[in-house]
Amino acid sequence: MSRIEEIVNIANHIPPFPKVAMQVMKMLEDPKVQPKDLAEVIQYDSAITANLLKTCNAAYFGLSRKVSSLDEALVLLGQDALKDILIASSSARFYKGGAGEGYQLEQGDLWKHSVAVAIMSKSISRHFKGVDPGAAFTAGLLHDIGKRFLSSFVASDFKKIMDRTYIDGLSFMAAEREILGMDHAELGGLILQKWDFSEEMILAVKLHHDPQALLKDPLTALVAMANTLVISLGVGVGADGLSGAMQGEGLKRFGITSLDLDRHMSNLVLEMERAEEMMGLSK
Amino acid sequence: MKVIVGISDMKIGTKPDEELVTYSLGSCIGVALWDPVAKVGALLHYMLPDSSIDTDKAVQKPFMFADTGVPRMFKEIYKHGALKERMKVYIVGGSQVMDDSGMFNIGKRNQMIIRKMFWKNNVNVTKEDVGGAVNRTITLNVGTGNVKLKISGQGEVEL
Repeated sequence: MSRIEEIVNIANHIPPFPKVAMQVMKMLEDPKVQPKDLAEVIQYDSAITANLLKTCNAAYFGLSRKVSSLDEALVLLGQDALKDILIASSSARFYKGGAGEGYQLEQGDLWKHSVAVAIMSKSISRHFKGVDPGAAFTAGLLHDIGKRFLSSFVASDFKKIMDRTYIDGLSFMAAEREILGMDHAELGGLILQKWDFSEEMILAVKLHHDPQALLKDPLTALVAMANTLVISLGVGVGADGLSGAMQGEGLKRFGITSLDLDRHMSNLVLEMERAEEMMGLSK
Repeated sequence: MKVIVGISDMKIGTKPDEELVTYSLGSCIGVALWDPVAKVGALLHYMLPDSSIDTDKAVQKPFMFADTGVPRMFKEIYKHGALKERMKVYIVGGSQVMDDSGMFNIGKRNQMIIRKMFWKNNVNVTKEDVGGAVNRTITLNVGTGNVKLKISGQGEVEL
């Protein structure tokens, strides 16, 4: 099998995204859905239930009192927060252990980066008309899922990729593409397709390093901006560093100024402190 | 003993077995100070140049910004007997993604402000490693004044 076939094969045999999460997301589309109906479905996935209880008490979600049962959580949490927690609880299992080791990320770093981009994506979503904050959160959380599965391939060709990046001046992504036949963003797109996420979500993951991303679909632009800011802050950044280009003039079409960028960066640090429970989910 | 300096934080080290370290500087800047006589060190990790974007945060987290964090750092280290004329000064970080429009030039703005502040206040930089697109980690040994620079994916060197 050629390497690119091996990589595509991974996407084809990837473990499914938790069914319970997908089912509950669908149920939430019905405005009349009752908490007890949701609880009935959620309780069958014990990992999601445990994570949901662990995270809903994070300051980030702003509940007024401590929650100890699933029923109580579902009554108190708004639908938006519930969606975010559900996606975070379901995604965390893919980021356990040394996910991202091939990129020289420390344990837990890929998850931390993903949560940071999710939080950033949600908080900048107000600049992007028509983008649902929940969709922004989900796309942010999953944008680097390709890294999780490309990591071992990057590890085995690490020196070649680094040489192409830091000696020949290619972006890390371009070097991944050249040497492995596929980069982590493209693989991430394939994985989301396999998981039955929406077209716009697939596109946002696939194009998050495209230098022209800010000129594309709003969700694509949003995730690219969030990721660029989080990378600039150095949160969960590995050997790929800040390598690559992102054409910032596309921000103008959303009315975003460099002052906005500074403000969002400074807010992220505090929001991450309030979301500590979410950061711990991949342990 | 390792003392970790987080984003938007600063730590002073006074014990010879202490190492001050700050991880993963992207566009942020790490400033290390060391006085060879007082044997005191300080390490700052600021993320943005200018606190006027949010004056509440400047009070809450003064080390988030260069304009509030750097003067405060010097004030703190002076309290431990350090003198400006004697101090070794190191700056690292200030990377950025490539962007012709300059919107994402946070690294460059972070570099410019500290140069301006140092120039105004007659502070000489002993050594620096700034710019580019790499991710850096800096460690200051309080006992010896040695500064180590680690570039992610490329290993560690003495600065």
